[in-house]
Amino acid sequence: MFETQETGPIIELEKVGIRYGRGPEVLSNIDLSLQRGSFHFLTGKSGAGKTSLLSMMYLWQKPSRGRLSIFGNNVNFANRNSLSLFRRRIGVVFQDFRLLEHVSAFDNVALPLRVSGMSEKEIRKRVNELLKWVEIDRSTSAITSTLSGGEKQRVAIARAVINRPDILLADEPTGNVDNGIATKLMKLFVELNKLGTTVVIATHNENLINEFKYPCICLKNHNLTIVPAGEKIHDMEI
Amino acid sequence: MIWKFKSSRHQELPLSKDSSNLFLKIMISISVFLFAVTLAGVLAINSMLVNWNASILGSLTVQIVPISNSDRQKAHDEMLEQEQRAVALLSAMPEAKKVTALSEDQLQQLLRPWLGDDVDINELPMPRLIDVKLKSGAEVNFKQLAEKLATIAPQASLDNHKLWLNKLINFAAGLKVLALAVLLLVIGVTSGAIFYTTQTSLGLHKDVIEILHIMGAKDTYIAQQYAGRTAWLGAIGGIIGVMVAVPVIFLIAHLASQIEGGIIDEARLSTASWLAIISLPVFSSLIAMQTAYYTVKRTLERMM
Repeated sequence: MFETQETGPIIELEKVGIRYGRGPEVLSNIDLSLQRGSFHFLTGKSGAGKTSLLSMMYLWQKPSRGRLSIFGNNVNFANRNSLSLFRRRIGVVFQDFRLLEHVSAFDNVALPLRVSGMSEKEIRKRVNELLKWVEIDRSTSAITSTLSGGEKQRVAIARAVINRPDILLADEPTGNVDNGIATKLMKLFVELNKLGTTVVIATHNENLINEFKYPCICLKNHNLTIVPAGEKIHDMEI
Repeated sequence: MIWKFKSSRHQELPLSKDSSNLFLKIMISISVFLFAVTLAGVLAINSMLVNWNASILGSLTVQIVPISNSDRQKAHDEMLEQEQRAVALLSAMPEAKKVTALSEDQLQQLLRPWLGDDVDINELPMPRLIDVKLKSGAEVNFKQLAEKLATIAPQASLDNHKLWLNKLINFAAGLKVLALAVLLLVIGVTSGAIFYTTQTSLGLHKDVIEILHIMGAKDTYIAQQYAGRTAWLGAIGGIIGVMVAVPVIFLIAHLASQIEGGIIDEARLSTASWLAIISLPVFSSLIAMQTAYYTVKRTLERMM
C-alpha cells in the first residue's frame, strides 16, 4: 500500500517521455516539479502535448519513459486500487466536459462523492450548495444532454471541485462561458488554491493569463519551459 | 465485496438499455427450464434408485415351479403342498417380517397385462409365488436358505431380485450421470453467454467506465453495477424458466404414470425435490451475478 507524503512536490516528472503506439514522442525529456498549493497556467499551441501532459497528471496515461511521482509516490509501481485512491484527490475539468449525458446534472456532480462512498445525505447537501453557486440550481434534475454548453461546463467544473481535491487540472475551463462567468469561475479556482489546492489550468486565453498573474508552463516542440508569474510570454503561440 | 450493493444504488452505467438484456433473459429462461426438467429427472431417478435398493435389501421371492405330471390335479396338489412347506420355513426365519403366498387372483392380476382377461390360468402351468418382506437391516444367507428350501420343496427357486435389478440400477445410474452432464453443460453455456454479453457491454460503455475510473472509481464499483443488473436478469429469467418447467414436469409425470409395470411409479418427486426446483431462480441469479462480477473485474484489468 502507498503512503501519501505531505511534504515535497505534489507532482514531479523526471525525464518523462510519452508516445502513442510506435509513433514519435509527443513529449520528450520533461522535467517538472509542482509544489503543493501552487497555481500554474499551461499553454502551447494545439498538438503541443497539453492534453497528454494533463492526462499523465490525472493518472490516465503512464509515461512511456521517465518517472512520474504524485503525492510522493512513483506511479509506475502503483497498483490499480492505489491509482483509484490517488485519482479521488484529483479534480479534472475536460475541454469536452466528458459528463455522463444520460444522468442528471446533480448525479454528475455527485459522482466523485459516490465513488468515495459518502452518505447520500451529505452528498445532497454538498452538491445542491455547489450547483447553486455555479447557477445550475434550477436544472439540477435535468438530464445533462438537455443542458446548454455553458451549463455543461459549469456542471463539469462543479464535478471537479466537489470533493475539494488536492490537485485541480482544467483543460480550457472557461472556453464556453461569457466573460462574467469566466471571471467568477477563475475566482473559484483562486479560492480553492488559497485553501491549498494545487491548480493547473490549460488555456489559450491570453487575457486570462495576463489578468491572473501566475507562472505559466509553456509547451513547444515537445519540450517544456516555465515562464515566471507576471512575465510576458515571448515567442510562444498560444 | 460482491454483495455490497449500497454504493451501486445509483446506476451511472446505462445497463438497463443494453440490447443484450432481452437475449440474456431468454437465454437464462431456457437454461433454467432445461435445468429444472433435467433436475426433476435426476431427482426422480434418484428416488427410484433408493426405492429399488430398498426393495433389493428388503424383500425376496420364492417361486414354486410347476411339476411335470400327466395327472394335472396331483401335480397341482403337490405344488400347493410344497408352497405350504416353503411358507412355513420362511415364516420361521427370524429375518422375515411378512410372508405372503400370492393367491390365484393376485397371480391373474400380475399376468393380465400380457394375457388379458379371458385366459383361465388354471389351464396353464403356472408357478406359485411367495413374497417375503424382510425386517429392516436384516441380512439373509441366500445360499443356506436355498439349500433348506431344496430339501423341503424341491420345486422351489429363490430369487432375491439382485440380478435383474442390478441391471436396471446400472442403467438408471448411467442416466443420472448423463443428466448431471447436461446440467453442467447448461451452467457452462449460460455462464459463457453472460461472459460474452458482459464483455460486449463493457466495450459499449467504455467512455462511461473511463469517466468513472478518472473520478476514482475502483473496478469493484463498476463490477457491482454489472453484478446487480445481471443478478436481476438472472432472477427474472429463472422465474420464467421455472414457471414453464413446472407444468412440463407435471405433464411428463402424468405420461410416465400411464406406463404400467410399477417401475416408473417409484420415480416420485419429494417435497424437498420440489423446493430445490422452485428455488432455481435464486441460483440462476447468483450464478449470473458471480459471472458478471468476475468478468468485469478480469476484463477491466486487461482493458485499462
